[in-house]
Amino acid sequence: MHLAVEVLVCFLQMIWLWLVAIVKAVVPSSLQPHKDVTGWVVLITGAGSGLGRLMSLRFAALGCRLVLWDVNEAGNQETEELVQAATPGAKVKAYTLDLSDREQIYAAADKVKQEVGDVDILINNAGIVTGTTFLNTPDSMNIKTMDVNCNAHFWTVKSFLPSMLKRNRGHLVSIASAAGLFGIAGLADYCASKYAAVGFDESIRAEIVKQGRTGVKTTVVCPYYINTGMFEGAQTRFPAVLKFLDPPFVVDKIVEAVLTDQVMLCVPKSVYFFYILRGILPISVNQVLGKLVGVSETMDNFVGRNKAK
Amino acid sequence: MGLLAEVVALLWRVVWLWLVAIYRAVVPISFQRRKDVTGWVALVTGSGSGIGRLLAVRLARLGCRVVLWDVNQQANEETADMLRVHHPGAQVWTYTVDLSRREQVYATAKQVKDDIGVVDIVINNAGIIAGTDFLNTADELSLKTMQVNVMSHFWTVRSFLPGMLQRDQGHIVTVASSAGLMGVPGMTDYCVSKFSAVGLADCLRLEIAKQKKFGVKTTVVCPGFIDTGMFQGFKYRFPKLMKDLKPPYVADKIVEAFLTDQPMLCLPRSFYVLLILKGILPVSVFDALSDFSGIFNAMDGFVGRKED
Repeated sequence: MHLAVEVLVCFLQMIWLWLVAIVKAVVPSSLQPHKDVTGWVVLITGAGSGLGRLMSLRFAALGCRLVLWDVNEAGNQETEELVQAATPGAKVKAYTLDLSDREQIYAAADKVKQEVGDVDILINNAGIVTGTTFLNTPDSMNIKTMDVNCNAHFWTVKSFLPSMLKRNRGHLVSIASAAGLFGIAGLADYCASKYAAVGFDESIRAEIVKQGRTGVKTTVVCPYYINTGMFEGAQTRFPAVLKFLDPPFVVDKIVEAVLTDQVMLCVPKSVYFFYILRGILPISVNQVLGKLVGVSETMDNFVGRNKAK
Repeated sequence: MGLLAEVVALLWRVVWLWLVAIYRAVVPISFQRRKDVTGWVALVTGSGSGIGRLLAVRLARLGCRVVLWDVNQQANEETADMLRVHHPGAQVWTYTVDLSRREQVYATAKQVKDDIGVVDIVINNAGIIAGTDFLNTADELSLKTMQVNVMSHFWTVRSFLPGMLQRDQGHIVTVASSAGLMGVPGMTDYCVSKFSAVGLADCLRLEIAKQKKFGVKTTVVCPGFIDTGMFQGFKYRFPKLMKDLKPPYVADKIVEAFLTDQPMLCLPRSFYVLLILKGILPVSVFDALSDFSGIFNAMDGFVGRKED
């Protein structure tokens, strides 16, 4: 195709996509077409608590077959029981494994493929955080944070994406964080791992698009602090702009995003605004705005969960 | 301070900082104030070749005492020889170290502190790339990419930042990549490692600012494709818009950036435009633009270096 024509086509494509994006952003999600995931196999890491547990309940209610992964066997069992109670007859299988161990991930993945079948929706949700300043964070935690929050995504995607590509059906969901878009003092290892997860989602999406697999979708989720206990003690300066989020609200948004094939979800909406500013403003100005919002003070009184996952 | 007063003060600061940023972007760098780094100890990783080598030469020219780290001993010695030839009397130390091994990094850092003393500038420049589609890349290679391209930054910064903070003098330069700001197929693990390096650099900048150590600076460098052999076979679709960067040019720009305490450097300048677009445009629109730009096929002919 002649270059001028291609430029024109690209330009028109961009206008069209922009209009679609505006409509999707403005029209309430309940009015948008939701894909039917009845019978789909959904694998959720970190299903033993927090967002993972809530997502398990929601996807079971949508008729999905669930695969629960967590390092905490008791928590995972509890999630399984809760799912059965809420959706009697739901097909659920729970596996206990340590996501910082690549061999364990591959072994569990093999079991899942034998015992359950192909995974349709992979939700890389498990995450850990240390919450100390960079120089005060032990190396073991720096390494483990990267292993669980980022490297684990490598191994799960390697395990389950090939079959999605072959069947041209699937969905990769990466529960990253707003800390994957912005630096925050006191979260250096966490930010490094979440920026990595955001980058991974972006690159893998590009690879999937390049292969023309339009049936395989991706969603990256970038929430602000959520009230699951993981960030206990963190504080926010202007709750009107950036407040601590309720887990059910976040999970609602995540489920909607998956069902409407939304590529990027930021919660709350003000995060989109800061993301735009970050692109436009010089770093010095961003830093000053960050100071006003109190970003670097949010972790000052962090306590977190007492035992690391 | 009442909130209103703080917001007003903030607005003034924002206007002022924006003017400063525009000034720094527009005024030729040679007219801007540069810091004097004569006698500073500068450590460069990946100094055996490419940008690392060029940076080492420039640092010697500026009067720095230069510490060279590379896994390739022979190449590193060659760099040292070059420095001594071009700048007789320059003080150079070479250390052979595998950055993917945390213990080696710490041991070598200790050696440096014993042999030389404090380090003022750390340039985390070393990087590797596999360059294959993610599903076809061996796990070990993906892991090693993460270890060299970002985890090693954790270890070097842990080793040398405390000294900088104590003296309130220092500079940490993170050579990341434009692939640390946008995803590219065919180099997924590289992108992941570079995104991570940018994230770490952002956090370090904020943590240092929070401690009010204004003498300790950070610079993160995000170049596009550089012609060093590392990315041999990489091809832009529109070379006029996204030109191949020549290594000496990149090294010059990096040096200028840290002499003028620039927090972020993107090369070529057109990348700043991309960054702005990425912030404003919905993902689908930016992806369409990326696709059109040919970046999805840029790695198709990738060959890279024969030896790691």
